[in-house]
Amino acid sequence: MSKISTGHFSIEDLENVQITIGKIVGAIEEKVAEEGDMGPTPKPSVSSLRDWDYQLLSRYQPVYTPVCDQCCYCTFGKCDLGGNKEGACGINLAAQQSREFLLRVITGAAAHSGHGRHLLHYLIERHGRDHPIDVGPSNLLAPNVQMVTGIKPKTLGDLEAAIEYVEEQLTQLLATIHVGQEGAAMDFESKAMHGGMLDHVGMEISDLAQISCLGMPKSDPEAPLAEIGMGCIDATKPMLLVIGHNVAGVANMIDYMHENDLSDKIELGGLCCTAIDTVRYQMDKGGKPYAKVVGSLAKELKMIRSGIPDVIVVDEQCVRADVLDEAKRLSIPVITTNEKIMYGLRNRSKDKADSIIEDLASGKEDGALILDLNLLGEVAPRLVLKVAPLRKEKGIKAFPTDEELIALAASCVQCGACEFVCPNDLGIMAAMKACAEGDLTKFEILHDYCIACGRCDQECPKDIPVLNVIEKASQKVISQEKGMMRSGRGQISDPEIRQEGVNLVMGTTPGIIALVGCSNYPAGTKDLYTLAEEMLKRHYIVVSSGCSAMDLGMYKDEEGKTLYERYPAKFLGGNLINVGSCVSNAHITGTAIKVAAIFAQRNITGNYEEIADYVMNRIGAVGVAWGAYSQKASSIATGCNRLGIPVVVGPHGSKYRRALIGKPYEEEHWKLYDARNGETLPIPASPEFLLTTAETIEELMPMLAKNCIRPSDNNMGRMIKLTHYIELSQKYLGQMPEDWHNFVRTETDLPLAKREELLKILEKDHGWEIDWKRKKILSGPKMKSDVSAQPTNLKRLCKGEC
Amino acid sequence: MVDTTKNTLVYTTWGRKTAKPVNPNVAAKMISKAKRPLLVIGTEVVGNEQLTEKAIAIAKKGLPVAATGHSITVFKGMDVNAKYINVHALAHYLGDKNWKGLDGQDTYDMIVFLGHKKYYLDQVLSGLKNFTDLKTIAIERHFMQNATLSFGNLKPEVHIEALNEFIENL
Repeated sequence: MSKISTGHFSIEDLENVQITIGKIVGAIEEKVAEEGDMGPTPKPSVSSLRDWDYQLLSRYQPVYTPVCDQCCYCTFGKCDLGGNKEGACGINLAAQQSREFLLRVITGAAAHSGHGRHLLHYLIERHGRDHPIDVGPSNLLAPNVQMVTGIKPKTLGDLEAAIEYVEEQLTQLLATIHVGQEGAAMDFESKAMHGGMLDHVGMEISDLAQISCLGMPKSDPEAPLAEIGMGCIDATKPMLLVIGHNVAGVANMIDYMHENDLSDKIELGGLCCTAIDTVRYQMDKGGKPYAKVVGSLAKELKMIRSGIPDVIVVDEQCVRADVLDEAKRLSIPVITTNEKIMYGLRNRSKDKADSIIEDLASGKEDGALILDLNLLGEVAPRLVLKVAPLRKEKGIKAFPTDEELIALAASCVQCGACEFVCPNDLGIMAAMKACAEGDLTKFEILHDYCIACGRCDQECPKDIPVLNVIEKASQKVISQEKGMMRSGRGQISDPEIRQEGVNLVMGTTPGIIALVGCSNYPAGTKDLYTLAEEMLKRHYIVVSSGCSAMDLGMYKDEEGKTLYERYPAKFLGGNLINVGSCVSNAHITGTAIKVAAIFAQRNITGNYEEIADYVMNRIGAVGVAWGAYSQKASSIATGCNRLGIPVVVGPHGSKYRRALIGKPYEEEHWKLYDARNGETLPIPASPEFLLTTAETIEELMPMLAKNCIRPSDNNMGRMIKLTHYIELSQKYLGQMPEDWHNFVRTETDLPLAKREELLKILEKDHGWEIDWKRKKILSGPKMKSDVSAQPTNLKRLCKGEC
Repeated sequence: MVDTTKNTLVYTTWGRKTAKPVNPNVAAKMISKAKRPLLVIGTEVVGNEQLTEKAIAIAKKGLPVAATGHSITVFKGMDVNAKYINVHALAHYLGDKNWKGLDGQDTYDMIVFLGHKKYYLDQVLSGLKNFTDLKTIAIERHFMQNATLSFGNLKPEVHIEALNEFIENL
């Protein structure tokens, strides 16, 4: 039987008939099967990787910290599950918390994969299914897709099968949330892991599609720098503000502006990941990004309230629910462009541009829903040009005057209602008092700590617009908020992995610190800069994405240079990489998978468990989502966790309800197999956790250094990692870490400069036997140093087992 | 005498079981009766001289200190029994009857909290409330509804006064 392939066919006897075969069901899988490298779990179902999850969950046990002790899912309840009681359906609090966590994970995964589906659909329509995936100088184009699904995509069309798999699995996971089903917390946990893994597939599809079709930098360490900060916005020009995560519509606006010579006439600024992707758009050949990045989610309400935007365009994810109401007060028309956010606006997708512009500019309607992105491309720029002079003419007043500011501050009765609801417990009362006396410095400091949630406004019994007061008082510092951010460079390329893989696995590059996620920081944006600078100086590879990547660009050194200007962006120790927007997080897990594939020559196709096992035991990477706030952050982190990458979140992250923390004092959990012979191999308690919180960056930094330690470190690598752990503890906690000796296998693991001093401590405090003549450890360590050991959690991978 | 039981307005709701408001002298007596109490000090004490002073004074009464975040820095050279530990990990270990404590001796029966971010501590306490039998006392400036006993919401100066009274009765 002959096989058919995709393409166009004519039939001789039938004139004017052409048959087009776009997609053949199962063709991609068949091709991979023919190549003979399919692993054991292509397209895993909900239970396929359950054994792996259970292994992880046995060492890293769930720690539940409920946000609510009750369950209100069904009409049996509300049920009080306090004290881990069972509710009417039989579920207990632990299982309910794990169900809640699962719900967050799949919500996040659905947001990314829904974004991916939208982009893929849109880009296939424009470029066709055969459009090649082009992400730079790599053969391994889609590490997450290939590892999870077994599909090796080459074209946009190939990605459809992968996104269909993600969608099907997310539906299965969502179904398990329904009352009257799962009762075991551990199985909800395993399902959450599954959802996290799917998230990275969905994110990868989104970014591969947009990089390939929208001219974004392709693994480019020289990706251009973009201006960032509220202070870099030129308020004298008509301003178009875009908010969200999906760049498709903005790309059309930029094209329209270029084609109609409007680029110099309009100031285009973005918030959140739409901003990041806007400054990636058409930057694969270099140049200067046309748009500016206003900043992260924390700047959203601040920017709108400034009154500077003349038109606001929102797409999806991380957009405030009250944008329309806030904008209305300042006569700013709002355009919604995606089915996820429609704000009750009239659908104008089939209307003429002139009519929409007229209705919005005249104020007849507050905004419009435009789902036709070509129409949007024309309407938004033209509307800005029309609205800006009208708003100027009206004399729209956003903030109070100087006199009004003092009067508002003086009207504060110091009741403390604002402080009580402030998520960061900011000292608003003291700042109000100082402001009333003409001292603005307290508000200027507070401005950076404020995440602009606006809860204070809602509470004030004197109706003081507290956020406006903060922002008005901080105008001087806001005008100085001008930084530079490297545009997202996309994947780490195969040649880069070849160059750096060995250093990572041996530990001579001490680790990858991935600074990702949102801006719900406990103590301002500067923390992130301080953290990155410290780790860069210590030769860690710092990878960033999303709002974290933005905030890293907001601060300068004494010479006026940002971190992006000071540190190169190659995949090498001491480099600072911005992979891109939220969906680019898949490139971080993708990097770890690539190390397994390229450096260690492991087969990744449909081979999740083996690759996760490799990553966990050999790649010293830790994720940090210091300001994590969203469901997406929980799904990204959980996807990292299943792959063996630990993640630390800031203190607000405790509200995700559960952590995964190991017990270093239980020795039975810190053992692996040596794949060479199946023997038991004691390992150091690192990573100590898969997901946990830290209180401050001072606590975080030594935690990061410690949790980059891996069983595969060679002596040089372990010495380097231990040096950083000890030095960071001394610098930020003022003491030697209590457990440093647990990571010492031999004297050559000890920091060179302190070797003698540390040997003395080992002898005196821990009873180790030292040969002082040769300065060698004779006895004491719980594990031995053996660089040829093959640490694995999987018995089946040991010699003689399969 | 400071009344620390008046304002028990909650930040957000959690569940039905809520902390009992407690006065400083009663809290101190409860702790004095405990077999293995542990004082958990958070990073909010760093840079707050008055709070640091009170934390050290309580520790000097003989309570072992779990110093979370980077609060360990305030205890340097102060001759108190303080050890660094991450608060989330601590909460996990506290629920484990096999954990031998910070000193390797035994687990604890009463946990006292001071100097923490309220939203963070409330999560930690939520875990302890629902999954352990431990008694917890929050001597914070805010009413911590997930503790067993807690001071109410207090102005900073009243809080210091309450801590003084607490120390006197310890």
